[in-house]
Amino acid sequence: MTSITVSTAIATGRVELANVRRTALLTAQFRALWVIGGFAMIALVALLRIAFLGVAQPASPGDDLASALLPARGDIVDRNGVPLARAFPGIALWYDPTAMGEGAPLVHGPRAVAEALVRVFPDLDVGALTARLASGKPGYLRRRILPEEANRIRDIGEPALEFPHETERFYPQGAMAAHVLGYVASDGHGRVGMEEVFDKKLTDAATRGAPAVLSLDTRVQGALEDELSKGMASSNAKGAAGIVLDVETGEVLALASLPTFNPNLIDQGGAGNIFNRFTNQVYELGSVMKPITVASAIDNGVATDMARRYPAGAPLRIDGFEIHDHENFGGSLNIPEALIHSSNIVTAQIGDQVGGERLRATMISLGFNQRPYIELPARGFPLWPKGEWARITTMTVSYGHGLAVTPLHLACAYAALVNGGIWRPATLEKVAPGVAVPGRRVWKASTSARMRQLLRLIVEDGTGRKANAVGYRIGGKTGSAEKPGNGGYNKTSVVATFAAAFPMDHPRYVIIAMLDEPQGTVATSGQRTAAWNAAPIVGRVVPRIGPLLGVMPDAARDIDISDLAPLVGNGNGE
Amino acid sequence: MNLTRDRLHSFGWAVCLVVCGALFAALTFRVNAVKSQVRLAERQIVALKQDKMLLDTEFETRANQYQLRSLNDLEFGYQAPAAGQYIEGERQLAALGKPRGPGAPAPIMVANADPLPTANFPAMISPLTGKAMAAEIPKGGAKKIAVSTSLRDRLSRVDPRPAVLASALRE
Repeated sequence: MTSITVSTAIATGRVELANVRRTALLTAQFRALWVIGGFAMIALVALLRIAFLGVAQPASPGDDLASALLPARGDIVDRNGVPLARAFPGIALWYDPTAMGEGAPLVHGPRAVAEALVRVFPDLDVGALTARLASGKPGYLRRRILPEEANRIRDIGEPALEFPHETERFYPQGAMAAHVLGYVASDGHGRVGMEEVFDKKLTDAATRGAPAVLSLDTRVQGALEDELSKGMASSNAKGAAGIVLDVETGEVLALASLPTFNPNLIDQGGAGNIFNRFTNQVYELGSVMKPITVASAIDNGVATDMARRYPAGAPLRIDGFEIHDHENFGGSLNIPEALIHSSNIVTAQIGDQVGGERLRATMISLGFNQRPYIELPARGFPLWPKGEWARITTMTVSYGHGLAVTPLHLACAYAALVNGGIWRPATLEKVAPGVAVPGRRVWKASTSARMRQLLRLIVEDGTGRKANAVGYRIGGKTGSAEKPGNGGYNKTSVVATFAAAFPMDHPRYVIIAMLDEPQGTVATSGQRTAAWNAAPIVGRVVPRIGPLLGVMPDAARDIDISDLAPLVGNGNGE
Repeated sequence: MNLTRDRLHSFGWAVCLVVCGALFAALTFRVNAVKSQVRLAERQIVALKQDKMLLDTEFETRANQYQLRSLNDLEFGYQAPAAGQYIEGERQLAALGKPRGPGAPAPIMVANADPLPTANFPAMISPLTGKAMAAEIPKGGAKKIAVSTSLRDRLSRVDPRPAVLASALRE
């Protein structure tokens, strides 16, 4: 019995041993399987990674390059591709007090560092800078510095002075054409000029790669600003403005308003000059409006005979008002003489004959009752006589008073006056060659042809003689309007304008020079009228820009005014 | 070890697979190497284009219209050419340069440009002394003409002019 028990016990023990061995074997196999599985997994991941790298990794190289070269904000260029505004990687000077970790932020102490910085930037104040550095607040010490200045500051050996590279808006031409371009504010959006108009286009990644092309010509703009500033200085004027406009397309080749500002640095002084005199300020422009009245009279069949004489010997009395000339030109004048001498009395009579309704319709078709047409956001609203025009209103408007428009209105009207009678809006965007810009007909082509003769006559024999650059066939009209002041017109503050076009045998460009409150100086022979200050500006600008614009001077060529010349008695002018 | 035909077959396939895998891996590495070279070249292109833009901008800034104007006012005094300085056409151009042959009839002059006035450029003014450059004679007589033959000699020669200018400024 016992032996049976023992053998049973041995048998049971063997079975258990076999079980243990089998379990251990299973465990080992299971573990080996895990390890193999692990390795297989790693191999699979590696293979997948290789496949990913080989197939899908780099995007097409063209995209990379394009995105790296895409400017932060699109460039603005002139009509010949000269950059006027571009995104520029500038260097700033930043103060980071935490750069050295714990302890004092500066190695040399605030006073020593401030003195070293003032040696680089002499316009900084040592005391203020010391207080700034000692305060331990991070911030810009200077928004834009030159690379050589950065090198000199590095020599100070202060880790707290850092030079972050920032994309800045840079205007290589400085203050030139500032009113057209505008500037970019610290929020990254454009202000004032085309920077504001093109803001979306210049910031959108899809469109900012290509530069925005303006109609401006840098050389013409430079010449216009140069001569305007010289004219402004010589006549001691408060301000000046001017334009060069293509009469066929309405493209603005140059537009200036002085004093100007520097869009690279908008400071207190510059901020005061942001106002655009040419597109935003309305003026009663005076005598430069007379050709518009005369054109309206010729076009409506009121003035058919250029030799017809109008009484001019005595002031004109209408509804209790008196219309004077600045001097007496004799008992009577015909239309060419009235324009040459700039007679208010005769022009008022012509305006009266045209009538309020027709003169008003002409002014409306020239857009004088609306803001001027141009892309710029700064556009002034004209002071337009409301309702039906009374007889006296028509007469004062006929010689440029009682209606205040911007000089840009006048430029577009003169373009229509000389280009065959078609008014077109002004534009600052380049018009592709060969594209016909739509416009509306204001005058007949025959009227325009007659006006070209009359305008040329004014420069040959009349008040515009100082603008007569030999060979350029300039025609134009002067205007010296007294500015409205307290209870009437102020005799000493005038707006002197010369509106012209050239060459008169085939007009291509309108050019206007305007001086705000010029004074009589030695340089202007003591006179403050446009004949002495604004007309010479045009006479100097045209020879500078004409050849650049394809208008070559030719003294042997001119518009035929032989039918009008005998009508002028004594072409002495004012 | 006796290899059966089947075993040899599968061993061959395995070797083939390994070789293909190795070639594939090598090709992948080569492709990636070329791609990184392309990316490097691209980065160089970007850097160079940015350099070009910086230089271009600097040039435009230094030669902007205001700078050119002040340079002209100070140094050159150039003015816009007058109508008489232009030639009307080929006929006028031909009339200017053609010598008259012996015994030839007088040419029919249709139009002619005025003879150019003698060159009357304003004198160069030194920005330091305010005197015309021609009036500045260095102390100790006119400067001798450099006779040194080698470039090194010419470059190492000390110009006496700055000292003269400095003394002129002190006056």
